[in-house]
Amino acid sequence: MISVTPKNLSAHNVKLDLNNLSPEQVALEIKNLDLYYGNKQALQNISMSIPKGQVTAFIGPSGCGKSTLLRCINRMNDLVDSCKITGQIKLNGENIFHRHTDVAALRRKVGMVFQRPNPFPKSIYENVVYGLRITGENNRRVLDEAVETSLRSAALWNEVKDRLHESALGLSGGQQQRLVIARAIAIEPEVLLLDEPTSALDPISTLTIEELINDLKQQFTVVIVTHNMQQAARVSDQTAFMYMGDLIEYSDTNTLFTTPRQKKTEDYITGRYG
Amino acid sequence: MDNLNIGRHISGQFNEDLERIINHVMHMGGLVEKQLTDALTSVCDADEALAKQVIQNDYLVNSAEVSIDDECTRIIAKRQPAAGDLRLVMAIVKTITDLERIGDEAEKIANVTLESLTTQHKDLLANLDNLGRHVLTFLQATLDAFTRMDLDAAVKTHKSDDKIDREYEALMRQLMTYMMEDPRSIPQVMSVIWSARALERIGDRCQNICEYIIYFVKGKVVRHTTPEDVQAIL
Repeated sequence: MISVTPKNLSAHNVKLDLNNLSPEQVALEIKNLDLYYGNKQALQNISMSIPKGQVTAFIGPSGCGKSTLLRCINRMNDLVDSCKITGQIKLNGENIFHRHTDVAALRRKVGMVFQRPNPFPKSIYENVVYGLRITGENNRRVLDEAVETSLRSAALWNEVKDRLHESALGLSGGQQQRLVIARAIAIEPEVLLLDEPTSALDPISTLTIEELINDLKQQFTVVIVTHNMQQAARVSDQTAFMYMGDLIEYSDTNTLFTTPRQKKTEDYITGRYG
Repeated sequence: MDNLNIGRHISGQFNEDLERIINHVMHMGGLVEKQLTDALTSVCDADEALAKQVIQNDYLVNSAEVSIDDECTRIIAKRQPAAGDLRLVMAIVKTITDLERIGDEAEKIANVTLESLTTQHKDLLANLDNLGRHVLTFLQATLDAFTRMDLDAAVKTHKSDDKIDREYEALMRQLMTYMMEDPRSIPQVMSVIWSARALERIGDRCQNICEYIIYFVKGKVVRHTTPEDVQAIL
């Protein structure tokens, strides 16, 4: 007879202590991060550890800094002239803002997918192998294998395997977004950043992507920014609520959506914000 | 209703939906309280007409449960409540189940009134009076705490069940003595035992409702614990 104890019941859902992760459990460590656009401070003293092999969601109202924080993780903010950053983000124990950091190498380790699907005007095949070709990989067998593995991981293989050499622009929005995810994971990054990956998609494609995110965390650490709170609740293991550049609350998703500690979080997730 | 904090959603419709459900639960609570009061009165006064009325009115409690349950399902489907709102809806769904069961227990008590009673039997039933009054007070205090979602009141009321249990055990000992002294009284004593058992169960259900109030207010699960543990958890 199986004895049912509260311990058994919660065994499938092991909660991490986010304040006391061991170094092996941490994928990214953000420490005292401040970010300014000109004189305007967009992020204020953000400190958090993002665990490996899990999905971490950033939620919050527009302009709260969640996309800005996400973009810091692969230094996309370098492209903004007026942007100034202090503090650290450590990937594998190394500060990504160090002046000797190779940004191209960093972005190979930290892939990113944006709100609107942005396939290149090339064939499906060429889209997936684009990153590998840049790194100098031209072996046909390696590329073929990468295409199949990545497209399978992105749950797109069965839909496109007979038309790999057709234009990627002929795919539907949901398929294009999965193609972009396949392109991002083809170079086997450690971390995958998703910036509102389903906001331009229909509900069915959204569900496919959410299912995909769940599969992807077996191989990658996923960080997702989403406006859809139910989506954060469905797909993430940890959720961070941000408000006006501050990290208000960061805890496991089950706790945050049932018993948040902070009143601001409660007000936001229950629709009392404003 | 201030503790419920339901009036500040951006969606006015959501506020209205929640307020309507809360009002329905309060109405159901009032109905259950009246059923129990009437059932106990019918036993004490041997009022068969009142007992029949209690039995007849149980369908009102049942239909209130079904309708509130339905409203909660709709809220979950349409609004996907989170945090406090979610805890409120869950607390309501569980509370109305317990209220409906309290209604069933009241019906059981009323049924005893309808059995052909001997004078000796009626004397035995008088023993229920004390326990009945305490359980009724417990139910009223529970409903009051629920209406205001008052944590302190819920914690205090939660402890009352121990008193009810002790009283129930004392009554049981007394009834067993009756049975041992005069085995011919066993059938009559048994019906008193069923009523006492029903009252004791009502006490347990009230305690459950107090636990749902604590869950809603504090987000902490205190079910299957002793009152001392409740204090420690909070």
